[in-house]
Amino acid sequence: MATRKPYFPARSRRFLPVAVADSLTLSMDSDSAFEFHESEIYDDSARVNSFECRGGSAVVKKKKGASEDAPSSPGSSGYAGEGGSSSATTGSQFEIQRQEIEDDDAAIQIDRISLSESHTSWIPGKRHLDEDDASLSWRKRKKHFFVLSHSGKPIYSRYGDEHRLAGFSATLQAIISFVENGGDSVKLVRAGRHQVVFLVKGPIYLVCISSTEEPYESLRGQLELIYGQMLVILTRSIDRCFEKNPKFDMTPLLGGTETVFSSLIHSFSWNPATFLHAYTCLPLAYVTRQAAGAILQDIADSGVLFAILMCRHKVISLFGAQKASLHPDDMLLLTNFVMSSESFRQADTYLMLLTTSSDAFYHLKDCRFRVEMVLLKSSVLSEVQRSLLNGGMHVEDLPPIPHSGSSNSGQHMLPSDSPDRFEEPNSGIGGPAGLWHFMYRSIYLDQYISSEFPSSLNTPQQQKR
Amino acid sequence: MGVSSNESIELCIFDLRRGQHEGQELDKILFFFPAGLPFSKQLSVIGLSEGLITFTRIFSPEAACEVIEAERHSHVFHEPEPDIWMVMVVEKSNDSEPIWRDDALRKVLKEIHSLFVMFHGSIRAMLEKEPGGELTRRHLYSFIMDYLRACKKPSPWDNCCCCYDFFVGKKLTLPSFRDCLKERGTVQMLTIGREAAIEVQSLVRVLESSAGNTPCYSLILFQDLLVSTTLSPDDTINLFAYAVLRLTPHALSSGASSWSYLRKGSTASNVAAESNITHPSSMSEGFYGSSDISSGEDNHYHVVRPLQSDKWSKGKDGYLVTDLWGAEVATWVFATPTVWLQQTGEKMYLCVFQHRSLTLMLLIPVSSIPNGEQGVVAVKQQVLENASHKILKVEEKLSKGWGGENAYHVSGYRYLLIDGDRNVSRASPATKVTTLTKESLLAMNKLRQEVELEKSRAKLESLNCEKDLEMCIRAKNNAWVISRVTRGNELYMVLEKANETLLYASDAVEKFSDRYCDGTFSVD
Repeated sequence: MATRKPYFPARSRRFLPVAVADSLTLSMDSDSAFEFHESEIYDDSARVNSFECRGGSAVVKKKKGASEDAPSSPGSSGYAGEGGSSSATTGSQFEIQRQEIEDDDAAIQIDRISLSESHTSWIPGKRHLDEDDASLSWRKRKKHFFVLSHSGKPIYSRYGDEHRLAGFSATLQAIISFVENGGDSVKLVRAGRHQVVFLVKGPIYLVCISSTEEPYESLRGQLELIYGQMLVILTRSIDRCFEKNPKFDMTPLLGGTETVFSSLIHSFSWNPATFLHAYTCLPLAYVTRQAAGAILQDIADSGVLFAILMCRHKVISLFGAQKASLHPDDMLLLTNFVMSSESFRQADTYLMLLTTSSDAFYHLKDCRFRVEMVLLKSSVLSEVQRSLLNGGMHVEDLPPIPHSGSSNSGQHMLPSDSPDRFEEPNSGIGGPAGLWHFMYRSIYLDQYISSEFPSSLNTPQQQKR
Repeated sequence: MGVSSNESIELCIFDLRRGQHEGQELDKILFFFPAGLPFSKQLSVIGLSEGLITFTRIFSPEAACEVIEAERHSHVFHEPEPDIWMVMVVEKSNDSEPIWRDDALRKVLKEIHSLFVMFHGSIRAMLEKEPGGELTRRHLYSFIMDYLRACKKPSPWDNCCCCYDFFVGKKLTLPSFRDCLKERGTVQMLTIGREAAIEVQSLVRVLESSAGNTPCYSLILFQDLLVSTTLSPDDTINLFAYAVLRLTPHALSSGASSWSYLRKGSTASNVAAESNITHPSSMSEGFYGSSDISSGEDNHYHVVRPLQSDKWSKGKDGYLVTDLWGAEVATWVFATPTVWLQQTGEKMYLCVFQHRSLTLMLLIPVSSIPNGEQGVVAVKQQVLENASHKILKVEEKLSKGWGGENAYHVSGYRYLLIDGDRNVSRASPATKVTTLTKESLLAMNKLRQEVELEKSRAKLESLNCEKDLEMCIRAKNNAWVISRVTRGNELYMVLEKANETLLYASDAVEKFSDRYCDGTFSVD
């Protein structure tokens, strides 16, 4: 590995997950790490101010050789393949052990906490594992995602079992390499309602087959995000693995991460951050936000690079040391990763502390404790809860416009061909001038705001639009 | 080597039902341009196309593969007959904006096929007649090369938009963003007053009754615009396209002089280009039968080449004559041209009469004339007797009412109007369109691509419900590029000197729509 860089350049740092008890630790692929801790808050009106916080210890092992003595526990799935091939590398590499987290009090809930009715029926993880490319139902799916290696081995497929899709995977690889042999690289194939989008990232090929009406750029952006998520989990060392062994089988490395990918893919249809490349904030009173920001700033001196307090996918407060900034896509991928892990399924609010210095890493626990204390004492958490319940802006609350011509209650939108932005005049329901929904993205702040969906758009299909 | 192998454009036609056995892959290919490309390269183009057709069939069995976009090339697909595929490969430019439009390129393929079928019948039928494929290949080769070479003298009032000089210099060029305000596959009509319309009607009646009781069809053109037709829309489009290419006064006079400022030099380079293509300098060219172009060598089959230039001329009686369809051996009487109508599948004699700016095309069923050429001559005589007076009158009337080259120019607007139901289009004259900047044209090209996508989606969704849509783009040079589609009609407009606000541009479109389109595009 090259010299250690003090900050994250926009999107090049990647992480490896380690999960122990209720804390999830991600380690960098170089000598740095950062840690998450969760605050559990039960979404229960009777106990709105109480929460439990279990301390945990992070376990990270830094390995320079082949032997391993990481703690094992029942039900762990190790990246054995990674270990074997990395012994010859010069840089240090982490051995990872993942542990399933067992919540001993609550049964594991299948349904995610829903932000709107559209989520109640979504089940995380993969479904329809029995399908393969011969089954009619598989062919009829609206949107497929495939990840395969440059030798044609399937790595991930949204629907169906990867192993049974080996033949199909080989076809995709044949198409891509055929075009490449002709000195070109295939981007898109259109046939009727279907679009097949190809993305080549080194030794990894990503393909999306979609019959939604999304534009090519959106689908390509989604493939980029999936690739990003993969790097979050596995780091760029997979490039090296492929260099050494073109027939490297990556699938076991991604074992157990189906929920992460499926939740990311699901977020393409409800989270505007996926195409806006911006993040959004939880609506909070100014004072509350100040209080949260203050405590985050306090811990900044102990080498923490970023401290982010989040509520689900919305930011409460974020602090970056020395004006470093985190790319919104990274934030999205991290959030997705956290929210799709079992241990965080019950949590709404969580704190992310990121650092690149290994000394600071060991102090992260203290930082977390300090933040926790302050948050407990202040009313920040209860405010957050209230805000969650109230929801965001509603178009119906906008004041009616005077009939003088142009309406500026609907914010102007940047010219982006976002698939679910629409303004349709409709009698009756809606805000001023028949406005149903709006979205505004600030280029400078990398943030966006959007209104809640009004009651007339309460089905998932309409909202997906 | 006649044709350089790094042409930026390739065109091929292949049959999926052929060449499925090992070692016989070449049998699939029915046509390939440039013919000089080595077989291995040809097979790789076709192999990729075939692979993707099969692949997309998995997910989209009802809608065929349409386009492949790669970094540097686009492949445009068209399946005119079951399992017969036409693929055009174009090279993308380095511009950030696309310069091609899939639909425009696909329409070129459609036109090639429609015209071919009009003169020679369907490709499948020809393959069934001669399973070896030799005949089909020869026909396709000569036809398509003639089509690509077809030219039209750019006239001052060039508002007919379906012909192009595809060979500029020696390089093949196809409709690009500069042609975004044109629509291939449509006819351009002349607007005539009520009186003139009545005269034309009666002329048509007289014409069509000249062959006795059999139903005939006719097409009347003034300059390069359509005045009347009794054919089906598809047949009208085909014959109109052919007329504008070869039969109208402009088309006839274009062959006489060095016709094109697009090609540097005159006949010398014509000859050079011709001989380059006809000289069989490689094996693959010979495969397509190019060696048989010069008619002397071919002894057992005369390939009719209706698109050849300079083969029509005006006879003394006003009828246009040609030797393209050969001549009767004994009498040296030129054979009357014949075409197949799509609608009825009938073979028809084509008689073309011209008086000054008026061109009349009469189609008589072959089956209704028992004694061949003599019978045709008799009908022609009949027409002259009955109708010549009327013809003179109509020509005079139309000439008087003729608005000249810029008749359809609307100051301040650059537009294209398409009536999808009748396949009629009208646009700003080409000379006016060239005043637009490159950015505006690129933006319009992009907009039309988006509209095409929407339209094709709407078509797939439901057959009855037509999509109404409106799209506006502000181009980089602050021009407004607007498109409105409603109930089968389309309006595309570029406003370069419009105001800052969308409202103003919208108003301009409304005004135009109310004044020139009977309010079709106005928002209620």
